[in-house]
Amino acid sequence: MDNLLTILRGLTATPLFGVSVTVFAYAIGVWMNKRAKTPLVNPMLVSLLLIIGVLLLFDIPYENYQIGGDMIEIFLAPATALIAVKIYQQFDRLRENWLPVLLGTAVGSAISMICVILLCRVFFLDRELLASLLPKSVTTAIAVSLSEQAGGLVPVTVAAVVITGVFGAAFAPLMIRVFGVKDPVEAGLAIGTCSHALGTTKAIEIGDVEGAMSGVALGVAGLITVVYTTFF
Amino acid sequence: MKILLQLAGIFTLCVMSEGVAALLPFAFPGSAIAMVLLFLGFLFKLVKPSQIQESSDFLLNNMAIFFVPAGVGLMECFDRIRSSLGPIFVICILSTVLTFAATAYTVRLVVYFQKKHRERRLRRG
Repeated sequence: MDNLLTILRGLTATPLFGVSVTVFAYAIGVWMNKRAKTPLVNPMLVSLLLIIGVLLLFDIPYENYQIGGDMIEIFLAPATALIAVKIYQQFDRLRENWLPVLLGTAVGSAISMICVILLCRVFFLDRELLASLLPKSVTTAIAVSLSEQAGGLVPVTVAAVVITGVFGAAFAPLMIRVFGVKDPVEAGLAIGTCSHALGTTKAIEIGDVEGAMSGVALGVAGLITVVYTTFF
Repeated sequence: MKILLQLAGIFTLCVMSEGVAALLPFAFPGSAIAMVLLFLGFLFKLVKPSQIQESSDFLLNNMAIFFVPAGVGLMECFDRIRSSLGPIFVICILSTVLTFAATAYTVRLVVYFQKKHRERRLRRG
């Protein structure tokens, strides 16, 4: 019996273990998200909790999972680059509204970062956590590389980005009402700037213009945040 | 084969962008450079989005799964952030609401001034 367990645990050291566990967990997350019909049940959130649960339950070392996990992560940079496709598809809208897009995302991204800096001071969080939280309003791929460069904890950044996105997506309709947003362009830009790709999924549900502008905002806000962190 | 070639093309672009990033005198993420280069490629008609359609659909539609492994890393640093969980949560939510408001009001202001400017030009013309 003990022998069998050792063999099984040895099997988890193959890259295919991490890959298949991740894909199955994510599939369960997507399925639950469809049934629950609320962005609070986010596929990414569900799957990472499931995987952590499985690893803890069967006492599988994180290093073993990571071998396969790294293979999945390879696709992160290419997928980020492809956001360019989304922006290009909205090129006409971008050209029409370039000034509101640029100024709105520039101010929004600045406010996001200033908020994080001030609140980290209020709560006495150290530099490492500040670096992890600073890029939390932009899309995960960009946030991860910014956090890495600034010496943050990448998993904390991923969690913060997901919490931000889930919250933004769940409460976008409420925020639109509270802040009296009437213009769909304004709504889309605000959603995309504050809650990146996850918010954009909600914006697409609200309307075509909202979805398109949110997509544009997530790309532009990502780049602007990179510029801010690089030069300030 | 078509999809493999598309993927190889995108991967090559990413590798080249990492090279550009390494040459820059400041830290700038390679993936952001790749995004800008690809956008410029579309703009100057060097590539068409339809040429990488299959692989871009695949990668964009499944984007969220690529972040899961990084998120699982939370289990390794959970002890480190245990005491700061509350503040992290508050920071995430508060700054999201404020960012939404700041963006919305800025856009509203800009659109308002643009409209005024246009009306003035119409009256003159």
